[in-house]
Amino acid sequence: MSVATLPSDDAVQEPAPRSSPVRAEGRVELRFARRGAATRLSHLYQRDPCRVLFPNVQAGEPPLGVIVTTSGGVVGGDSLTYSIHAGRRTNCTVTTQAAEKIYRSDGAASTIDVRLRAGADAACEWVPQETILFDRARLRRATTVDLGPRARLIAGEMVVFGRAAHGERVLDGLLHDSWRVRRSGRLVWADALALDGDIGEIMGHPASFGGAAAVATMIYCGEDAPARVYAVRAALSAVASGCRAGASCIGDVLVTRLLGADIVAVREAFAGLWARLRSEAMGRAPRTPRLWNM
Amino acid sequence: MPMPRPEQNDTALYRLMGWLSPSYPVGAFSYSHGIEFAVEDRLVRDRETLTDWIATVLTLSTGRADGVFLRETVIRAAAGDREGLAEIAALAAAFQGSAELAAESLGQGAAFVIATRAAWPAPLLDEAVDWIDSPIAYPVAVGLACAAHRIPLKASMLAYLHGFAANLVSAGVRLIPLGQTDGQICLRMLEPVACNARDAALSTPLDELGTATPMAEWTSMQHETQYTRLFRS
Repeated sequence: MSVATLPSDDAVQEPAPRSSPVRAEGRVELRFARRGAATRLSHLYQRDPCRVLFPNVQAGEPPLGVIVTTSGGVVGGDSLTYSIHAGRRTNCTVTTQAAEKIYRSDGAASTIDVRLRAGADAACEWVPQETILFDRARLRRATTVDLGPRARLIAGEMVVFGRAAHGERVLDGLLHDSWRVRRSGRLVWADALALDGDIGEIMGHPASFGGAAAVATMIYCGEDAPARVYAVRAALSAVASGCRAGASCIGDVLVTRLLGADIVAVREAFAGLWARLRSEAMGRAPRTPRLWNM
Repeated sequence: MPMPRPEQNDTALYRLMGWLSPSYPVGAFSYSHGIEFAVEDRLVRDRETLTDWIATVLTLSTGRADGVFLRETVIRAAAGDREGLAEIAALAAAFQGSAELAAESLGQGAAFVIATRAAWPAPLLDEAVDWIDSPIAYPVAVGLACAAHRIPLKASMLAYLHGFAANLVSAGVRLIPLGQTDGQICLRMLEPVACNARDAALSTPLDELGTATPMAEWTSMQHETQYTRLFRS
């Protein structure tokens, strides 16, 4: 059983009322398959409070899936599972419609499981909008990636600790945000951001967040990743004003990190990096989906 | 001259002091774990900021993660758990914040295995290395030796964290630069930190594994393109 308290803020959409303290168990399953020269959706499953929209895309762009969480936010004990499977030689882009808000929990942690699978020669993008943690939020998120031979993936995430523009700060809470990337079954990169307890104080340390309140990670997996690290660094030095940005290639996983005082600069740099990476590494349009600009 | 057999506590202490000393041939002196860039960027500039930086790396970053890897390696190797050992070794090898941090851990791990198999042979060490099919990260290498030589985990953990901290202090002393005495004061101030980090590493569940130091990882990424550098990380 969990209790959530919402901050009094008109801009925050209240979660759908629930008749009993039942935890939401949202789920999305998306599978894409190759049909002739095109990629088609071959499997869709959606369970409240999650839905998927498929807006029209411009010519030359791969199918776009947009995950919507209709509850307006995640409260303690909720679980969301996103399973995205790009079949052999498919192309796809999946994002979210809006920022995901993780509300204060006095007990249970919420979980978000993201399972990304890309078959041989697939090119898949998973770039959701930012996750907003409220004070005393408790979130465990796990992103697991399974790549087939020559599969390429752009995946990223942004986390903001309180909305600075609303005067919010995160002082206490839990965030365990892990990544596991496997190529042909072999673990090639693992990572976890683990913050627990007095987050406000921890994040103030110079070697921790150095006072930053927004962090983003974007990875690009592909055989050509080592050759792209120079271009990514150049892109970061051009876009990253007001945030610290770095890139490094570990095996064939190109890892990019952004850190900023607030989400605005981090989001701008993140979107710019994504646009450049999808263009250079996947031959897609050098821009983010239109809904990212709203 | 006949010598009495040393007691097990004595051999454990003797071996740990050797394996985790700066003279053990793993090339520790050539790694700064990103501190070279932190000094360049003025994030680390004196004794206080160096101590604070290393304390955070011990408790919230590599110290915490390596401690968990060391613990799991010792337990699984000692139990003869082949699959479990291979799994933790693969995780430790892949759990890297940057290319240079990976090179630092995997380079020292490989060197430690070679030196220890040659100088301090033990059947379990040779066997366990064969159970692993990934590169061997430094805490896994040390854990294998400690398991093979039946060295108590608590002592191994503290010796490992001390060696790690002392190496970073030494890097800071050369880079800032600081006097040798300042370096020792820094190490003294890190004593309770290392003990706490040891206790945390002994009790942190594997699925809580993680770091909270994107800044430390960022300095390591920046070090890759630093113009003038003495260190390999």
